[in-house]
Amino acid sequence: MSEALLASETPGAGATKAPVPASGARQFWRRLRTQRAALVAAAVVALLVLVALAAPLLTALEGQDPTSYHPGLVDSARGGVPVGSFGGISADHWLGVEPQTGRDLFARLVYGARVSLGVALAATLLQIVLGVAVGLASGLGGRWLDQTLSRATDVMVALPLMVFALALLAVIPSSVPRPVLVALVVGFIQWGGVAKIVRAGTISLKSLDHVAAARLSGWGGVRIARRELLPALAAPVITYAALLVPTNITVEAALSFLGVGVKPPTASWGQMLTSADVWYQAAPQYLLLPAAALFVTVLALTVLGDGVRTALDPRAASRLRIGTGRKREGGS
Amino acid sequence: MRLRRQKSVISRRVAVASATLVVLSVGAAACAGPDDKNEAGGGGKPQQGGTLTVLNSNPQSDFDPARLYTSGGGNVPSLVFRTLTTRNREDGATGTKVVPDLAESLGKPSENATVWTYKIKKGVRFEDGSPVTTKDIKYGIERSFAAELSGGAPFLRDWLIGGDKYQGPYKDKKGLDSVETPDDQTIVFRLNKPVGDFDYVATQTSFAPVPKAKDEGTKYEEHPVSTGPYKVVKNSGDGERLQLERNPHWSAKTDAERKAYPDKIDVRSGLNSSVINQRLSASQGADAAAITTDTNLGPAELAKVSGDKKLAAQVGTGHFGYTNYLAFNPKVKPFDDPKVRQAISYAVDRTSVINAAGGSSLAEPATTFLPNQKSFGYTKFDHFPAGASGNAKKAKELLKEAGHKDGLTITLTHSNDKNFETSPEIATALQDALKKAGITVKLQGLEDNDYEDKVHDAKDEPGLFLAHWGADWPSGGPFLAPIFDGRQIVNDGYNFNSSFHNDKSVNAEIDSINKLTDHDAAAKRWGALDKKIGAKALNVPLFHPVYKRLYGKDIKNVVISDWTGVLDVSQVAVK
Repeated sequence: MSEALLASETPGAGATKAPVPASGARQFWRRLRTQRAALVAAAVVALLVLVALAAPLLTALEGQDPTSYHPGLVDSARGGVPVGSFGGISADHWLGVEPQTGRDLFARLVYGARVSLGVALAATLLQIVLGVAVGLASGLGGRWLDQTLSRATDVMVALPLMVFALALLAVIPSSVPRPVLVALVVGFIQWGGVAKIVRAGTISLKSLDHVAAARLSGWGGVRIARRELLPALAAPVITYAALLVPTNITVEAALSFLGVGVKPPTASWGQMLTSADVWYQAAPQYLLLPAAALFVTVLALTVLGDGVRTALDPRAASRLRIGTGRKREGGS
Repeated sequence: MRLRRQKSVISRRVAVASATLVVLSVGAAACAGPDDKNEAGGGGKPQQGGTLTVLNSNPQSDFDPARLYTSGGGNVPSLVFRTLTTRNREDGATGTKVVPDLAESLGKPSENATVWTYKIKKGVRFEDGSPVTTKDIKYGIERSFAAELSGGAPFLRDWLIGGDKYQGPYKDKKGLDSVETPDDQTIVFRLNKPVGDFDYVATQTSFAPVPKAKDEGTKYEEHPVSTGPYKVVKNSGDGERLQLERNPHWSAKTDAERKAYPDKIDVRSGLNSSVINQRLSASQGADAAAITTDTNLGPAELAKVSGDKKLAAQVGTGHFGYTNYLAFNPKVKPFDDPKVRQAISYAVDRTSVINAAGGSSLAEPATTFLPNQKSFGYTKFDHFPAGASGNAKKAKELLKEAGHKDGLTITLTHSNDKNFETSPEIATALQDALKKAGITVKLQGLEDNDYEDKVHDAKDEPGLFLAHWGADWPSGGPFLAPIFDGRQIVNDGYNFNSSFHNDKSVNAEIDSINKLTDHDAAAKRWGALDKKIGAKALNVPLFHPVYKRLYGKDIKNVVISDWTGVLDVSQVAVK
């Protein structure tokens, strides 16, 4: 975070325009480019987002859709296992069909990507907006407001997400669109981490000269936050967000797996996993496809998140590496 | 009164559920029979001896004859409790017959089937050697009226004269006058209405004798006094583990039904269904001589097992009288319009529904409400022929006539439980089929308890939902009456007449058939009644489940009757 703070101390900070984004962004790209793993991960993520966005196009190209039943493609007498080898892979069904229903797996997988990525991104956005708002208010507000918001943040951090989300999603009537609901629930529960980072950043920034100067010249809280604090806080928040996305993907998958996430016939990877788990012996590809999709996505996002953190804060990254040695050194 | 009614109906629901569970089992073996495709592991004649292990998911909770709710006396319970009558332990359709157990012969009806008289066999003894008398049977029945021993079947409460007011032997020492024991071998039941099916009712465990001197109230279940071939040696964790050993005072001379080959039976419950199937297919150690009385093969497990010849030979197939259907609430628009109901009947795709239920090996298409078995009076009909995959064209025509030419949007309520009968998989299959007929289906998935409460609540009942019904005994009466008899609509409490059907001529026909004591004659008329009601499109029959169950490789003499659809523990041999 100190790098970010330093960056915001660059000349002219208190003046008309914060120069951080421009030079910071350029620097960021330069540093990110040097990390090959992060670049590969970024390419994978971009591909996934493209696939999700182009899902209707891709399935049209294949000539299928995610909800149509094909009873003729499963062996009814054998429990509905797909007819043909490798789960019924054919020119018409690129990744085979789902057992029992004969629905196209490729179509379900790419439409599932929309749910998984969409819910995760929306939830992350919500977490950031809430976390930044609470963190800033807490850092800039008076003692009483700070105390109240900090305790509220502590409560949210301490809240067991899965248990709470399970309870909440089970209670809310099913008429509310499920993907939106899942994003809202996850977003509203899991913003504590962002709030804590933003509050800590705000408090240390507050004592810096340029912020003090802005204050003395009579700027209001909102203006200070927008012009002086947010540019400096962007780096840690983006870093945190990059790691929140994969977490949110797994949370959505887990909730759908447990039956409280998106509802059928909507496809989501977690929901596919839950109906596939019993088929792992009879139709392994049915389980492997969503599992692999989840694995690749979460891994790519995590590596990318790590790369983003390194690029934004190389000193923090190197400190992490040196850290162990220093600890041994200063053991006393 | 209202509370009592409510209670009895709830227990009926539970009963039906547990009956299904108790009933499903697999058979395998050397029994000859037209339906017997089950070949057991070893050849040769079944021998006495050995230990049979039962691997179950549900415990044998409340192992007290007053509290058990079973079909035909149950599977494990009937090893310990003999009843006045019992089911015929044979394969297939002959297994739907009711036969005498403690009684010398089936009951003698008189006064228009409102009075039933039984004489019991001489020489039947309890596990302590004392002789069984009809006073013990009367006492056992009276116990089932005690509030503290809840859970049993509600029929006697509803049908015995004074049964609605009787509080059980602990509160009411005088006893129930409508059950008479003129001597130690005779017992007479006086009913408030004709019940031609009474012999079937007398198979339930509440007809098991209980010696008054040994009754410990709610503690009796820890060690109920046996009359069957086995006695309870240990009951731990409220039936989670039940260890049975031979009852030396039981004699095959007085019991033609139970074979009782193994020396010991060890019932272990609380297991996950996939664990049970895994252990049975591995058949290692004690699991080679193991069966399950409550766990079916799921579709994925069936796919795996059917690809393996050795395992496929360890699967028993059975049919239990049961129907899964789509229920309409005609009080909710647009289901008040018969044309809309007919359109939906035409539009359903039974092939994809059956695939969702596990495929053609685990479900058979249904177009009648009665199960496809003769004992129920099955009469083939298909009022709204949808073919194998739905008749969208005919459905669209009907919708147009009903004034929905631009299609229709409806809500289908289902359970979120993964049970292959009211689950999301079935609902989405229907959703896809109705889409072809221009009907947009919105799915309302509820947690299983909410779902059960909602669909049985007359005030809150959804317009369209997935439902199922199983009978307490293989006859048309318990199958049709609770669902279509207008006098059985329950406005407060659990209601099963979900179409609120109340037709005087149907009610009168139900009463008239209930007077018949000739089961075959009654069956014919139940079948005709089913056909008549079916024309009203009050529901859409979807499928009748088929039960497939694994058993261990050393299991012999597998008998699966159509009464229970599952392997009969009393017939199994392990040597």
